[in-house]
Amino acid sequence: MTKKPIQPQDGILVTLNLTKRFEDQLVFDSISLAIEEGKTTVIIGPSGCGKTVFMKHLIVLERPTEGQVYFKGQRIDHLDERSLAKIRMHFGFCFQMGALFDSLTVYENITFPVRQHYKTANPRMLDELVKQKLALVGMDGFQHQYPASLSGGQRKRVALARAIALNPEVILYDEPTTGLDPITSDVINELIIKLQKELKITSVVVTHDMKSAYKIADRIVMLYNGRIIADGDADHIRNHPHDVVQQFIHGRVGEAELAALRLGGTRFETQFTPDDFK
Amino acid sequence: MIIESLGEWTITKVGNTGRFFRFIWASMAALVHAVLRPRDYPLILTQMYAIGVQSVPVVMTTGAFVGMILAIQAYGQLASMGFEERLGVLINIAVVKELGPVLAAVMLAGRVGGALTAELGTMNVTEQIAAVESMGTNPIHYLVAPRVLACLLLTPFLIVYADLLGILGGWFISVYQLKINAGAYWNYSAIGVERWDICTGILKGFFFGGAIALISCYKGFTCRQGAHGVGQACTEAFVGCFMTILFLNYVFAVVFDAVYKCFWPLRMLL
Repeated sequence: MTKKPIQPQDGILVTLNLTKRFEDQLVFDSISLAIEEGKTTVIIGPSGCGKTVFMKHLIVLERPTEGQVYFKGQRIDHLDERSLAKIRMHFGFCFQMGALFDSLTVYENITFPVRQHYKTANPRMLDELVKQKLALVGMDGFQHQYPASLSGGQRKRVALARAIALNPEVILYDEPTTGLDPITSDVINELIIKLQKELKITSVVVTHDMKSAYKIADRIVMLYNGRIIADGDADHIRNHPHDVVQQFIHGRVGEAELAALRLGGTRFETQFTPDDFK
Repeated sequence: MIIESLGEWTITKVGNTGRFFRFIWASMAALVHAVLRPRDYPLILTQMYAIGVQSVPVVMTTGAFVGMILAIQAYGQLASMGFEERLGVLINIAVVKELGPVLAAVMLAGRVGGALTAELGTMNVTEQIAAVESMGTNPIHYLVAPRVLACLLLTPFLIVYADLLGILGGWFISVYQLKINAGAYWNYSAIGVERWDICTGILKGFFFGGAIALISCYKGFTCRQGAHGVGQACTEAFVGCFMTILFLNYVFAVVFDAVYKCFWPLRMLL
């Protein structure tokens, strides 16, 4: 049975034959993907496979070498910056390290997108908005702190509060649990689920944390060598026949990598110790 | 091999120059946008404080030392010819026309240019610039325009401060240390220094300020990842600003001289 080709109307976010090259390096090749509205799609893949670059294309922070990106059926990858600014108001982007503005307080970070797009002269309204968004991520009371004084997990939660400041339809998460302890990672997972359920937000999550992926995903897409090699729900991925998928989800090193490690060896003719440099 | 490297180098340089001029164009458009949008005025005022007000002490100190050093250096030569009372002309023309504007601009390139590149470079590597963009705000409007505008508007004022302190520094050393008659000092200065000299010196500040801000912001926006990338961008920004200041100063010397000569007969008629 042949698969029906993806159409721009097949999802809230659709990529058609998306290809990205940096000079001679091919990052991904002809990726067609339709992201369903109101669902959480998780993109997994080994480090450096182009997951983050792919996600940046969804909001046109990067322009594709070839192919198209559609948001609600409208092509967006060729738009000028002014038109893109209006489109981007429908998105929230949670960066890997939070990307909070360190010269601004938590309050100012969250009000930043609101102040940029709306004339809000009423400070009480802004206070209420910030309180609401921070309460949603369990950070109410941190309004006047600077990002430098927050922990990694707190920073990610504030970044999430900032990402939902404009009530977006889609939130893009770039490795939301990377660098966090297991408990804080689970808090972030719960938050992603909570936002999706309560606010009916479409989520796209890039991660290599399989525990997180299984917990939050309605659908998991695996990228490898610039192509999609697996696409389906958690069970489909768990039982996928592809070796690379199995190695990745079980965190197992491949035979080729093992052979290379063995070949490298650890015993050399000359073994240096710190005393040799005295 | 050599031809291949030369070709690659040329393509890279032409590409970078093109990107820089596109950046300048986008910044100029953002500048007009910022001026017409009162909502951006607080951002501009914040940058004016950081770039302008906080640079006053360093620029004034530079100016004062320039005037004082000129007085000490030039006195011996003029005194040997019996022209020591004309020391004021030499000091004040040098300060007002060249040394005040150029040295104030160089100090700004170090203080402000370095800070701008480091700040924007760090924002770039920590994805804060991408975050601005992802929230539907043009980072050139939000980050570059206020900084360029503050530099453009305040560098001429800073040059006035440098000139003023240069003149006072020269006067102080000439009159109190070298015992030159104060009346003669000021008289000769008033005859020798024209309004044209002062105005052209201040006018240069406008262009120097613009060049410092644009080069520094561009380097910050395009810096490579990591601490080394930010450090390298800061170095490149300072060297670029310094070279541009010297080049612009040369261009202005030629242009202003031609304009002066063109209008000199007219001035005599008036």
